[in-house]
Amino acid sequence: MSAGSTLSGLVHHFLLSLKLNFRSLQALVYGYLVPVFFLLAFGSVFRSDIPPLLFQMGQLLTISILGGACFGLPTALVAERERGVWRRYRLLPVPTGSLVASTLLVRFIIIGSAAVLQIALARLAYHTPLPAHLGQIFVAFLFVGFAFLGLGLLIAALANGVPAVQALGQCLFLPMIMIGGVGVPLAVLPEWAQRVAGFMPGRYAVDLLQRCFTNPNGLQGASFSMIALVVIGTAAGCAGLKLFRWESGRRVSRTTWVWLGIALLAWFAVGLTATATGRLDPVLPDAIAYETITDQQIDQITYDGLPGDNELVTRMSPPFKPNAMPVRAREFANQLKAWSLSYASDPGQAVRNLISVAAVADIGADLREAEIGRVVFDELQARYERRQLCHILTWIILRPNDGQAIIRVPELRLRRNLSEQMVRERGVLYAKKYLGRLLRKLPD
Amino acid sequence: MQPPPSLAHVSVANLAKNYGPIAAVRNVSFELAPGEIFGLLGQNGAGKTTTIECLLGLQHPDAGQITINGINVLTEPMRARQRVGAQLQSAALQDKITPLEALQLFASFYAKPADTAQLLGQFELTGKARAPFASLSGGQKQRLFLALALVNDPKILILDEPTAGLDPQARRELHGIIANFKTAGRTILLCTHNLDEASTLCDRIGILHQGRLIANATPTELIARARTSPRVAFCTTRPLDAASIASLPGVTSHAPHSGGWQVNTTDVNRTISGLTRILEATGNEMLDLHILRPTLEDVFIELTGQAWAEDSAENKA
Repeated sequence: MSAGSTLSGLVHHFLLSLKLNFRSLQALVYGYLVPVFFLLAFGSVFRSDIPPLLFQMGQLLTISILGGACFGLPTALVAERERGVWRRYRLLPVPTGSLVASTLLVRFIIIGSAAVLQIALARLAYHTPLPAHLGQIFVAFLFVGFAFLGLGLLIAALANGVPAVQALGQCLFLPMIMIGGVGVPLAVLPEWAQRVAGFMPGRYAVDLLQRCFTNPNGLQGASFSMIALVVIGTAAGCAGLKLFRWESGRRVSRTTWVWLGIALLAWFAVGLTATATGRLDPVLPDAIAYETITDQQIDQITYDGLPGDNELVTRMSPPFKPNAMPVRAREFANQLKAWSLSYASDPGQAVRNLISVAAVADIGADLREAEIGRVVFDELQARYERRQLCHILTWIILRPNDGQAIIRVPELRLRRNLSEQMVRERGVLYAKKYLGRLLRKLPD
Repeated sequence: MQPPPSLAHVSVANLAKNYGPIAAVRNVSFELAPGEIFGLLGQNGAGKTTTIECLLGLQHPDAGQITINGINVLTEPMRARQRVGAQLQSAALQDKITPLEALQLFASFYAKPADTAQLLGQFELTGKARAPFASLSGGQKQRLFLALALVNDPKILILDEPTAGLDPQARRELHGIIANFKTAGRTILLCTHNLDEASTLCDRIGILHQGRLIANATPTELIARARTSPRVAFCTTRPLDAASIASLPGVTSHAPHSGGWQVNTTDVNRTISGLTRILEATGNEMLDLHILRPTLEDVFIELTGQAWAEDSAENKA
């Protein structure tokens, strides 16, 4: 058999499977109506957020992909197997893997289109902003889809019937929804649950997808989440392919346990690596994070060794005289007031974003760096009450790696792409300079 | 007469397949000559489906050799599958797929597929070409599966219980179709547990019982080998007594049958002559008379009954 006819057959199989999916009312309900239902459910809870639903889109999309991959795919596969459809496919002169790959691709398209529908409807119904990184969300979707479709294939191989698919699917779905950071946000979960979530793919899926909506750096710095999903998806996919059954009535064999063990081992490997590399430190809700800062912690901050305002690092202009702000600084101040990311719903993140601007200008040796350092300080004082600002700055100093750090701000003409770690470190220095001034421990 | 191996399209030698402790197929050998219909007869669990699955490369046998047109099925299953058309028992299609779509899909996997429109016409499915699979009758579904078996225009067809579950009319239609396959020069392996079907369609029959091939011959040869004697069944206006029946020439046993008698005889002519003499002497009249020659069913029961008895004895031992 020529490669041409194999390819032609697989393309035909792919297109026809897609067509048959759209002819099935049940498939349409589970594939599209259920994701819309989840969108409405989330929308009813988070529609008053600013911006609405934006910080839940990662969770929402993950739930849809998880449902499509862990229920939709195995239900369709097992139902066809039970009927004897795969028994007929088996007579075709093509290897198992190619037909399974075609089926997975169909499911990938279905869950992808459901995700697009969710994003579009969220925009229309709640004015949720589109992903900040439209191209990258496709990449994130590839990783998440790969991992979950691998798990779906394994469920199909293990389940002896459609009811068993529901049972096995729930074994994955519910833990990830409840304690895996997919349904209930990580920051709300107790510390033990957050650590358990580190062993599940849902946490990494939400991380990747959410970054594309709200993280100014997109997927940069998300390599661990990508690797985690690839490892989990590969192990599950290989096990699913190895245990694939063409027809019903054949019981699970002893080798099933070996392959199931391999698939689960991937989860453990990911969780242990995340633990060993300090990736499972407790995540606090940002709004609470800075509020937990005590006065004692604020007092304990030291200011020794801070570079001077005219030195190479963390330059900062002296205070502008009333009505004598340089034109260039005034222009920048106006731009900063209009900069959307400085209005993040969480004050902790909003301050962190503003400080990132000063850090980016400083590291990038922008001509306005000293003035920007001052404008940011003025803006912070104008927007926040002194006590709240002291708490937030102390939180930034003590928890430099929390929240998100911005590494370039093209809308403020700060276009150089910088290292996130450098921005975070420089941000700590600026936070200390600002806090010292607020507490009058540093001269201004 | 066995065809020379060099001419055989299909050759199975010493095939054995076990599922754990259960021996599904034991040392089975047979060959199919070009253009013949070979029937594999056996009850459920006799090993027919396992034999077919081994032939199609879907199961790897524990022992034995299978070649199709000289291709070793065990080492080149994909290549062998390209040359064979098959219809498997309990296979199905999606509810919403149409016959046209199914044929186009399966045909697209082959380099030189048959014409799908022609297949639809040949199997009288043109009117149902765009109807969902779920809406087809049992006979139409089976015709579609036979059409699917021909999408690669194979010279060898393997049909597993093609008429199972069909009404008599649909069954007769399919018999006609299968007979046409032979006319078109295809070699056919037909698995069935329908004895009439086997005797009507098959040039040769192999009887599988408990995984063993216990007979392999033409239907005529098999019947000729039968030890079952001919039977004469008759009905008279007034009943005859058992003693008169037992005294008829050639009669070896007798039993009441449909208001009359059925006798086993070693000499049909003499038994009927004797019966006629008794009727004339007593003023009785013949209402109905049938001569029942041994059938494939008799052969099957005879052969499998012996084998079962031997196995039982072995088990008891």
